[in-house]
Amino acid sequence: MPVTNEVLESELGHVTNPSEQQHIRSLWDEADPLMQDISVSLIKGDNNRVDQLTKEALESGFTANTILDEGLIAGMAIVGVKFRDNLIFVPEVLVAARAMKAGMTHIEPILSASGIEPIGTVIMGTVKGDLHDIGKNLCIMMLRGAGFTVIDLGVDTSPEEFIEAVEDNEAGVLGMSALLTTTMPNMGRTIDAFEEVEMRDFVKIMVGGAPLSQEFADDMGADGYGKDAISCVDLAKAFMNPEAEHSVSSIA
Amino acid sequence: MEPVDPEKYKKSLGKLETIFRSISDTASEVSSWRCPYKNVEDRCTAKFGCRNQNRRGKVTELFLCLGSDDLDYRSAWETGN
Repeated sequence: MPVTNEVLESELGHVTNPSEQQHIRSLWDEADPLMQDISVSLIKGDNNRVDQLTKEALESGFTANTILDEGLIAGMAIVGVKFRDNLIFVPEVLVAARAMKAGMTHIEPILSASGIEPIGTVIMGTVKGDLHDIGKNLCIMMLRGAGFTVIDLGVDTSPEEFIEAVEDNEAGVLGMSALLTTTMPNMGRTIDAFEEVEMRDFVKIMVGGAPLSQEFADDMGADGYGKDAISCVDLAKAFMNPEAEHSVSSIA
Repeated sequence: MEPVDPEKYKKSLGKLETIFRSISDTASEVSSWRCPYKNVEDRCTAKFGCRNQNRRGKVTELFLCLGSDDLDYRSAWETGN
């Protein structure tokens, strides 16, 4: 079925490279208009509409695989192209990711019922005294996309809040973000707090943020340093695979 | 409901990873010349203060960003809580 949704057709107009347009258009080759509606709602960042349409699609008998491929991921492909071509920016990408999460909320129970469990649970937060969250939010988007369950503690997170979240969720990985040189030491203090409550051996800790370096991460005793969002995902995956642990400390 | 096909799901995650890797690369590149908190309408989405925020607009709207991006935008960010 060709693209019948006018808004989606207009969004496809942003993909100017002919071969890329052909490839992306083919994602909807067999897509029902409802899947196209889901894609459009995701591109627009309308999380309520994605939530409602995904629920409706599942109730109408569409499979989770179809909704994921022809609705959510197909829409995210357009978001990626628009971002690459500077037609939208990081905040719009994150709004689209929030819409994708709204759809995934309905798909996750089916994944679980099908025996497909999350790769692991990751606790993420910006450290105490720091309100910068955009890098952390990008990491969270990518971790969820890779199949992790992520608990987002937000900004200004105390060591006690990190410890409680790891304990409550039995998380194997903790990610801390800081953007300020003045708040970076709170990462080290949080790691020390895990030592004090004798929980340090039960969780792998990764750190990231613009002022950080591998050296700083090593000094404070982190298990890994990620220089960007995708290396954060690579680190978390490596933590889940102990055989690869020797190469974990720096993935950049 | 029909169960999820694990092989198809694995392929879906692969497709999503390709898209997200590209987004990560673009985010790193774009953040070198444009504040990542500034949206497409040049409004600030940050939850902290910044000297580039025009606070004279309506309180119900996001502040307009007055930053030129010619200088390192990070120096304008306020660091206190």
